[in-house]
Amino acid sequence: MIHRRSVVVAAVGAALAVALPTAFAGSAADPGISSTAIVIGGTSPLTGPAASYASVARGANAYFAFVNARGGVNERKIDYRIVDDAYNPAQTVQAVRRLVEQDRVFVVFNTLGTESNLAVRDYLNQVKVPQLFVASGATTWGRDAAKYPWTIGFQPSYAAEGLVYGQYIARTKKKAKVAVLFQNDDYGKDLLASLKAGLGRSGSKVVAAEAYQVTSSDVGSQVAKLKASGANVFCIFATPTFAIQSYVFANRLGWKPLVINNAVSGTSNIMVLASEGGKNKLVEGTITTTVLKDPTDPRWNKDPGMKQYRVLLAKYAKGANPNDVYHVYGMAVGYETVSLLRRLGANPTRVALMTRARSIASPKNPFLLPGVVVKTGKGDSFPIQQGQLQRWKKGRFVPVGGLWTSKRN
Amino acid sequence: MTPREQRIFGFAVFAAFVVFVFVLPQFISDFRARDYAYVGIYLIALLGLNILTGYTGQISLGHGAFMAIGGYTTAILMAGNEQFGGPVPSGMQDIWTLPIAGLVAGLFGLAFGLPALRLSGLYLALATFAVAVAMPSTVKRFEEYTGGGEGIQLFGLPELTGSNAVAPADPNAPATFELLGLTFTQNDWMYYLAWSIALGAFAGAWLILRGRTGRAFRAVRDSETAAVSSGVSLARYKTLAFGISAAYAGVAGGLFAIASAFVNPDTFPVALSIFLLVGIVVGGLGGLSGLVVGAIFVAFLPLWAQGQDLGSLLPDSVIQGDTVSIPILGDFLFKGTSAPGGPAIVYGIVLILLMFVLPNGVGGLFRRIGQVITNRRYSRSK
Repeated sequence: MIHRRSVVVAAVGAALAVALPTAFAGSAADPGISSTAIVIGGTSPLTGPAASYASVARGANAYFAFVNARGGVNERKIDYRIVDDAYNPAQTVQAVRRLVEQDRVFVVFNTLGTESNLAVRDYLNQVKVPQLFVASGATTWGRDAAKYPWTIGFQPSYAAEGLVYGQYIARTKKKAKVAVLFQNDDYGKDLLASLKAGLGRSGSKVVAAEAYQVTSSDVGSQVAKLKASGANVFCIFATPTFAIQSYVFANRLGWKPLVINNAVSGTSNIMVLASEGGKNKLVEGTITTTVLKDPTDPRWNKDPGMKQYRVLLAKYAKGANPNDVYHVYGMAVGYETVSLLRRLGANPTRVALMTRARSIASPKNPFLLPGVVVKTGKGDSFPIQQGQLQRWKKGRFVPVGGLWTSKRN
Repeated sequence: MTPREQRIFGFAVFAAFVVFVFVLPQFISDFRARDYAYVGIYLIALLGLNILTGYTGQISLGHGAFMAIGGYTTAILMAGNEQFGGPVPSGMQDIWTLPIAGLVAGLFGLAFGLPALRLSGLYLALATFAVAVAMPSTVKRFEEYTGGGEGIQLFGLPELTGSNAVAPADPNAPATFELLGLTFTQNDWMYYLAWSIALGAFAGAWLILRGRTGRAFRAVRDSETAAVSSGVSLARYKTLAFGISAAYAGVAGGLFAIASAFVNPDTFPVALSIFLLVGIVVGGLGGLSGLVVGAIFVAFLPLWAQGQDLGSLLPDSVIQGDTVSIPILGDFLFKGTSAPGGPAIVYGIVLILLMFVLPNGVGGLFRRIGQVITNRRYSRSK
């Protein structure tokens, strides 16, 4: 026994001898930081039911390539590793572990999907790896910042978005009967609950709500049931594939409600697809909200940010469709990440990154609508809390009213 | 070789393999250990499936569903389902849930074996496939037991062995914990757990198949009529094969849940059932040793395929920037890892090539090598 204990003592001693000098020097770089590179990684649905969102990662990747071509961030190139998780949280868990333990990324960046991010949040907070700018609007990212200090969101919360839709209906329609299609997870439920809160006691109310599963093949039966409720407002709280299906099925059933489509699929490229080459009139008049400059909107033809967007996409993501607004989202989040990394200076650490991420003040992101501010601070862990209601009219979005700002989350 | 010599040779190879398995973590990175733990888990499932399909001749396209039953049994026993409104309290340590996972899945397998008696060949394949297809929806239907589509989070639970691991001062080193006087990283622990069970399962499968039961299974496979006329009860042995096979899958599913520290309905997709069948075909139907290679194939080929730069295989003329244009198939944006659709194509091509080169799987190759050695010995002794 003595022998064994002495071996342990010797081993501990040796370990300390190795560990102490670095501890005192304080210069042991965090994983993912080398003299020439910052390795970051994230998962994206490159395949599967939400594969349209792959453009987000592609847009961010193009922005990083642009920054790298101009010398990188504080003389380090950004090495962005994108792993496919097929929008399946079980695969996200394995992919994120791979990024953290094998690729040794500095941060897990912009992983997409509410469920996917929930599945890895406990893990990332335990191993103290930043879960930076989560690509999901679930309210929990900002609300539970104290419990999960290593996680921060990006886009407006679904709770704020749903509230805005509810208030819009209450303001513009008397005694509306609202039917809701929602994804059966935190994302869909957040939107539904806040929509109801927004309707308040206006006399308009939700008369039917149907859930669908991410893994289901179509939402035909849900749409039929919603139509049968006799509603005159149809809220689509669904990802692009299912949102397009909703328009198609509702149109085939001869249902003509006012459609409210959530921001994650209320984009010009999706609207064009849903209009079936102009045959589907239901698309006309759709209400949605956004924070991004729409690449198909001629208002931004001379906008420096959008000009840069087109140049960068053409140069660093050859073959990518510039009208796909998810690329704009990718660049917007890429822009914030680069400015955050810049502010960390020559010796970036994960701790410093999270501290800085909780004190962002970025009023001029060139890819976001003018006036939209990316801001966090004490007690405010929601980077974007504004948006613009817009209506789809003759093949493009037109703004409805001014920017809205959410007061409560 | 005489049968006795053959058996001694087999034992020697198995012993060498056991030693190899237990020293391997010394030579690979901590993260790789977790990858290889998944190989062990798949091996358990493949062993079970081969008892059913390779030895008894009953095709199952639904083994992912039996893994799901095992996985959910483990997850529910560990985390409890009171949080969803179910009746099961949390609190069972992960490894103790595994025998129960095997038992529950095995009972489901026995129950499924009964209707399966009336089906054979393609019809059985379809019926089992239906089980795999229905499983995710069934799991979601009983939300109060299973947590529905959102799944059950096991990460950080005290019931998960090693969740109390302490991170060392060096941010690059993995966290470690003590168990039975030994120090493990979480990944190494998972590796040893999965492989201890896998090797036990391997020995178990060998014991089942070498004697009377195994003979009966093979008789059912080769000719049901002949088997019946020799006094083999079809009903008994077919349901038994289903039960044993499902129990193996259940244990594998339980381990899978522990290794991923998370289960949801998509953890066990329809594709998993198909991959398992691919695994035993690659490993060799009706053999055990080749299944190790089959398991490596199932665990690593999809990952490997993701890492293959399809673009680099093609002449520069078809690559413009990061886009690869392939006639008919269309454009593949991004090079390498993120080429959508690329990994699936690589996977398919490798599988087709493999079946051309090794029509009887890796097990067939092993047997052929064995025959060469045997022939040489016979010709020498002449």
